[in-house]
Amino acid sequence: MLSIKSGLRTGLSKVILRTFATDAPAYEPNYKNFKVYRWSPDHPEEKPHMQDFNLDMNETGPMMLDALLKIKNEVDPTLTLRRSCREGICGSCAMNIDGRNTLACITKINKTDGKEVKIYPLPHMYVVRDLVPDLTLFYQQYKSIQPYLQTSKPPPEKENLQTIEDRKKLDGLYECILCACCSTSCPSYWWNQQEYLGPAVLMQAYRWMIDSRDDATEARKQMLQNSMSLYRCHTIMNCSRTCPKGLNPGRAVAAIKKSMAFE
Amino acid sequence: MLTRLGLSVRPALAPVLRSTIRPTSQIAYRSLFIKTIPQPPGNIIGTVNDAYATPPPKVFAGSRHWTFERLVTIGLTPLVVAPFITGTSSAPIDAVMSSLLLYHCFAGFENCIADYIPARVFGVWHSAALGLLFFGTVIAGYGIYVIETTNNEGLFGLFKKIWTKQKN
Amino acid sequence: MVRFSGLQKEVLSLYRDCLRAAFQKPIDRRQHWINYIHSEFNKSRNIPRRDFSTVEYLIRTGKRRYEMYKSPDIKDVL
Repeated sequence: MLSIKSGLRTGLSKVILRTFATDAPAYEPNYKNFKVYRWSPDHPEEKPHMQDFNLDMNETGPMMLDALLKIKNEVDPTLTLRRSCREGICGSCAMNIDGRNTLACITKINKTDGKEVKIYPLPHMYVVRDLVPDLTLFYQQYKSIQPYLQTSKPPPEKENLQTIEDRKKLDGLYECILCACCSTSCPSYWWNQQEYLGPAVLMQAYRWMIDSRDDATEARKQMLQNSMSLYRCHTIMNCSRTCPKGLNPGRAVAAIKKSMAFE
Repeated sequence: MLTRLGLSVRPALAPVLRSTIRPTSQIAYRSLFIKTIPQPPGNIIGTVNDAYATPPPKVFAGSRHWTFERLVTIGLTPLVVAPFITGTSSAPIDAVMSSLLLYHCFAGFENCIADYIPARVFGVWHSAALGLLFFGTVIAGYGIYVIETTNNEGLFGLFKKIWTKQKN
Repeated sequence: MVRFSGLQKEVLSLYRDCLRAAFQKPIDRRQHWINYIHSEFNKSRNIPRRDFSTVEYLIRTGKRRYEMYKSPDIKDVL
């Protein structure tokens, strides 16, 4: 009795729906291939490899990070990557995409060219897992330049003021988010990263050198006064080319060299 | 050797190696004859919270060396170009030019050695490479002395001779 | 006498460092530490001697764990 009733009801609804139906266009998926570097520390004896992921671009967000998160959410939850802000201000998702060090969150996917995308972790760093590089040395180097205000004067009662011109000197330097894209794109840093500080750290060193409120400029210069820390820079300029924030670390390094030229 | 430098589980650069990501020649690097100095694990000295310690300041390896290199290069430019424009050169100017050129080459190779044969990894081999470079420079310096004393127009005169001979 | 390669020496020195650190721990927990060290080293016992990148990776992470665990604040391990 009950089944007849429900059968009648569904049949009726089908008839009603059919009257409203129009010809739906055939769905055309737009697939794009992503080759992602995989390596797991749980099986250190297995060599790193590239894993293919085919994603339908119609159902993926516009950025590389969206694609990676889609892979992680829907295809392979073991894919490991750092990400946080998804808007290019934290510098966590720095990786090598199609041969260029950049932030995955502000790199657009070209959805129409049909080419495959290759995603690697930052080059010449130790890999913790998949796309996560070990940045310990990078942070140690950042710490070594003492990236904080050092002044001999007693602290002022309110703000520590600067003239507008002095403040302008810091533009293009303070925006650095320390994503390590520039340092890991520098061949000099690849060969001698234990001793050469790298563009990102040197740019921050310069940022503190030219700060009008900072009194430790001399000590900061003395720290770079050897053949390795600063002078391994051969103005290759990969750093300025790759910077995802559009900064110019190469220019900052050159400015340090210039300011130290006659010491 | 390269694994010693810490290239072990590092990804190769994407554009360089398209199909394979790991060079299979990694063991080959190791079987080089040169014994290298083992590096600290992960290149980290001290604990992870320690700052990197910069070496003691050395002005003559740092800024003065750099400035001297630039000055030599700037001074070299007119000296190299001038004889080609005037078509003649005198022994003392040529002697200055060739010795500056020699220093320029020396400084360039010195940088190469600092980059690719760092003392940190190669120890005595770094000093050996520098010694070899120094030895070569001294010999080249003697060669310049011989050319300048026997040839009228020095190095430029030699150049001119080769040039004309090739044309005939 | 067996002659060890540089890498093997590094593994052995890490092992010795670990054991030395274990002997700095409170005496009633010492056996836990020694068992733990043995089990961790035994896990990668079968890795081929010539698999340099793997061995180097294990030394690297092992060193880091050793530095973490040797702190006197850490008393026991399970």
